[in-house]
Amino acid sequence: MSALGEFRTLRRTRVRRGSGAKREETPDNKAAALFLAPWLVGLVAITVGPMAASLYLAFTDYNLLQDPQFTGLDNIQRMLSDDRLAQSLQVTFVYVVVSVPLQLAVALGLAVLLDRGVRGLPLYRSILYLPSLLGTSVAIAILWRMIFGNEGLVTRFLAHFGYDGPGWVSDPDTALSTLIILHVWTFGAPMVIFLAGLRQLPRELYEAASTEGASRTRQFFSITLPLLTPIIFFNLVLGIIGSFQSFTQAFIVSNGIGGPSDSTLFFSLYLYQEGFTSFRMGYASALAWLLLIIIGAFTALNFWASKYWVFYND
Amino acid sequence: MTDASRTTPRPAPPSLPDPAPASDPDPVRRSGRSARGRVSSVLKHTGLVVVCFLMLYPLLWMVASSFRPNDDIFTDFGLFVDTFDFDHYPTGWDALGHPFDTYLVNSLLVVLGSVIGNLVSCSMAAYAFARMRFRAKPVAFTVMLITIMLPIHVLIIPQYVVYAQIGWINTYLPLIVPKFLATDAFFIFLMVQFIRGIPRELDEAARIDGAGHGRIFAQIMLPLMVPALATTAVFTFLWTWNDFFTQLIFVTDPAKYTVPVALRSFIDAQMTSDFGAMFAMSVVSLVPVFLVFLFGQRFLLRGIATTGGK
Amino acid sequence: MTLRVPRAARAATAALAAGLLVSACGVGAEPVRNPKLSDGKVTLTMNWWGAGERNERTLKAVELFEKEHPNIDVKPVYADWNGYWDRLATSTASGDMPDVNQFDEVYLASYADRGALLDLSTVTRYLDTSELDAKILDSGRVGDTLYAVPVGAAPNAILLNTSLFEKYGVEVPDTSDWTWEEFDAAAQRMSKASKGEVRGVAPWGGDAFTLNVWARQHGDELFDRDGELTLDPATLASYWQRTMDQVRSGAAAPPEHHLEMQGVPLDQMDVTTGKAAMGFIPGGQFTAFQQASPDDEYAVANWPTDSRTKKGFQYLKPTMYWSGASTSAHPAEAAVLIDFLTNDTRVAKILGLDRGEPANPAGREAVRPTLDESGKKALAFTEAAARYLGRPAPITPNGASDLQTVEVRYYQQLLSGETSPKKAAEDFLAEVGDAINAAG
Repeated sequence: MSALGEFRTLRRTRVRRGSGAKREETPDNKAAALFLAPWLVGLVAITVGPMAASLYLAFTDYNLLQDPQFTGLDNIQRMLSDDRLAQSLQVTFVYVVVSVPLQLAVALGLAVLLDRGVRGLPLYRSILYLPSLLGTSVAIAILWRMIFGNEGLVTRFLAHFGYDGPGWVSDPDTALSTLIILHVWTFGAPMVIFLAGLRQLPRELYEAASTEGASRTRQFFSITLPLLTPIIFFNLVLGIIGSFQSFTQAFIVSNGIGGPSDSTLFFSLYLYQEGFTSFRMGYASALAWLLLIIIGAFTALNFWASKYWVFYND
Repeated sequence: MTDASRTTPRPAPPSLPDPAPASDPDPVRRSGRSARGRVSSVLKHTGLVVVCFLMLYPLLWMVASSFRPNDDIFTDFGLFVDTFDFDHYPTGWDALGHPFDTYLVNSLLVVLGSVIGNLVSCSMAAYAFARMRFRAKPVAFTVMLITIMLPIHVLIIPQYVVYAQIGWINTYLPLIVPKFLATDAFFIFLMVQFIRGIPRELDEAARIDGAGHGRIFAQIMLPLMVPALATTAVFTFLWTWNDFFTQLIFVTDPAKYTVPVALRSFIDAQMTSDFGAMFAMSVVSLVPVFLVFLFGQRFLLRGIATTGGK
Repeated sequence: MTLRVPRAARAATAALAAGLLVSACGVGAEPVRNPKLSDGKVTLTMNWWGAGERNERTLKAVELFEKEHPNIDVKPVYADWNGYWDRLATSTASGDMPDVNQFDEVYLASYADRGALLDLSTVTRYLDTSELDAKILDSGRVGDTLYAVPVGAAPNAILLNTSLFEKYGVEVPDTSDWTWEEFDAAAQRMSKASKGEVRGVAPWGGDAFTLNVWARQHGDELFDRDGELTLDPATLASYWQRTMDQVRSGAAAPPEHHLEMQGVPLDQMDVTTGKAAMGFIPGGQFTAFQQASPDDEYAVANWPTDSRTKKGFQYLKPTMYWSGASTSAHPAEAAVLIDFLTNDTRVAKILGLDRGEPANPAGREAVRPTLDESGKKALAFTEAAARYLGRPAPITPNGASDLQTVEVRYYQQLLSGETSPKKAAEDFLAEVGDAINAAG
């Protein structure tokens, strides 16, 4: 599924190369097996087993301590009438759709800004990376309340402009936005990947463009952005997978509850509560596979769309 | 606000040269810098400093809190510290049954193993995916991506069962060995994307010269992949350094605890916890990470241009 | 090549994984009565949650035990509350539960009913529980079987920050026989005198302990002996109505503040940070609160009552328990360790009041001379509360281990105006009831 687009690209390149090439390339099956050996061993020995087990458990009633009881489609049936599941899906979708593009835009903007042309960049880069190190720290729980709480900095600041509502963390309508801000704030990872990608771009293109008198903005849109599309694509795919699975931040900021009144109940947090607090690991496993299907669909869509906007050098 | 003053603009610290001075992109612009250029530069720095400050506020607050008496921590938003309390550092260092360097060393061990593992296994797999033609490649690629889509909370128990059967619980093996087996597919994908950005002519030429995959990989690809490898290394370092859940579950002996697990054991919701000491040790644990990043970015940003790819 | 995993290998792996799981969760076979102590070297793992001082004290107790029992090597394992339960669930599911575990009332039946815990009646030769008050000991039983030995026990209490009363010139209420009316009046006076800087009463309404004491004041109870949910929705609604009334009258902070304070650690609660003058706490944590805020003077009092309040509404809730694993390879030694922790007065002295006032009277007497001011207050309170004590409260049944999170969730809905106390009460009880039936 997710490789659909990938597959097409591969096939297309092969055909193109095959027809126009100097020689017919032979497949590298043997060499590939060698290069992929560690991954294959890991897949078989470490990954497949637990995944298969969780798939099996998805069709059972499993309380962690006693043998799982096979219950057929009961868990799926339960999903259909599960209000909290619907709520957690909604929360997670909003979170993914809003926070991933926002975070990427900020990361890309800062990466371009920090790439070259300003002195002291290594220090700036390191400093701007620091928030990402804190993203999962317990300190965040305290901090976020101090910033977005009822007496928090932001609330007080907004009060000067006539806002007299509650703090954002305690209002079900706004609590999620504080987690989106937290996610955007930890833009360090995509920023670094963008930086590395920017350094890979061939210099000659810029030199040529400069001598032709193209402005920096023009250069950004006609050279940087297209050449960076594989990296943008990568960050997008991983950003989506990562934020669908987002757990720690909501767990820490809401003290594990997902509140107020389930307004920050991320899918993974709900799954965790079901599995580890309520001992319904069978249902949690079913939820996990639902998540896998959703993420898989998004990723496949992404790969499919990528052939229209991602530009590869090969 | 001593901490903030470190980010004051203008004179760049002379001790921190740009990592790639040789590749100054725009000598024309720089030599011909006009008054307008200077203004824009000042603006840029001011902007950056403001952004940095906003971004850093929470971190600075944490540092400030590590010097505050415990009962001020939850009531004081500011970055100014009225009464300095240096005790948190020595107390925190010795608060957990083992001196804190035990945990630092433990984390370092796990991190080093993970970094090496990821570098070796993921680069090999990525090369195969990006540059080789083999049967079932799309399937394999799909499977690879799928393996990172299941949340850890449903995998941890079966994993524990497997590791318990082979006697790996309470060792670092469950944390390190999987990295040597490329289970962090994230990095395979990262490297695939990077390799695909490298012009094919480079390895094509070598191939015509009769080089096999082994040589192309080792002598051409790896040097060109330095930014991707550095990214992988830096990220593996950071994420392993911060990973709490698996390290908590698989390592049970307090003497073997890693930094994130140790940091949590400062806090218990039902009793008085030494938050000051926890913050102090959090600051301590950030130092290695910050250093790795500060010096690691040299490699991270060393693109094709400086590795003699042309 | 090949990339294709042979079909057989694939099937085998899946079967293996599933098989491992099944065999791993197979919980202890028919237990042996009073198994023999081993002659050779034995290693026990001992597992608890906690931080800082508790870890130091417990490690000292372990050291003492190892000195007395040179052939038993105790491996300590500890983590914070959340990490503790995550790890315990994982290792227990894998058949790898530590030999001796600290337990909480809310999880006790969930583990015991599913056969994970050691039946302590099979090790009576090594573990003597006769010193403990039967009422307290009963709270370690699930059904009729003793699975866990309470470490300490205390009633729910009201914490008063007398320094704050003094600061704002509000008279500290006479708590010896106070009524809800007096309580509310004192709280309102406090809020008014401080112009809202300090609230009279800290956020409550989101924990199971106060809910149960409230229920018992009204002749009701959360659960019965058989693990059925018995609480009347009206009682629950009145409980939440009380907190809402306090919000409305200004005695407590506005709802958004309640929302913000759900589930925060002890150090950040309003009674600790000086934002509230009174609060409901488990009596066993009194010294912890005093310790968290050493500059303020605290007092501890019994709940207020009114004319309709039922007698004997208070009960001693075990602060925590010690229990063994049914899968332990050394149940006899595990029992010896639990016995040591329960009955040895030197251990009581080492542990102090950190796990609450010792349930064992001998331990309490041993601790008494070592106590500081706040410890003496705590002990005096528990002893004085004896006259309010009624029958012990049945423990949280299997399937309701998430009671607290569910309660908080409905309380939050109520606070944000999404529902009414009555509707929230009905929904809450329906959800908990379903979960208990499903687990039954």
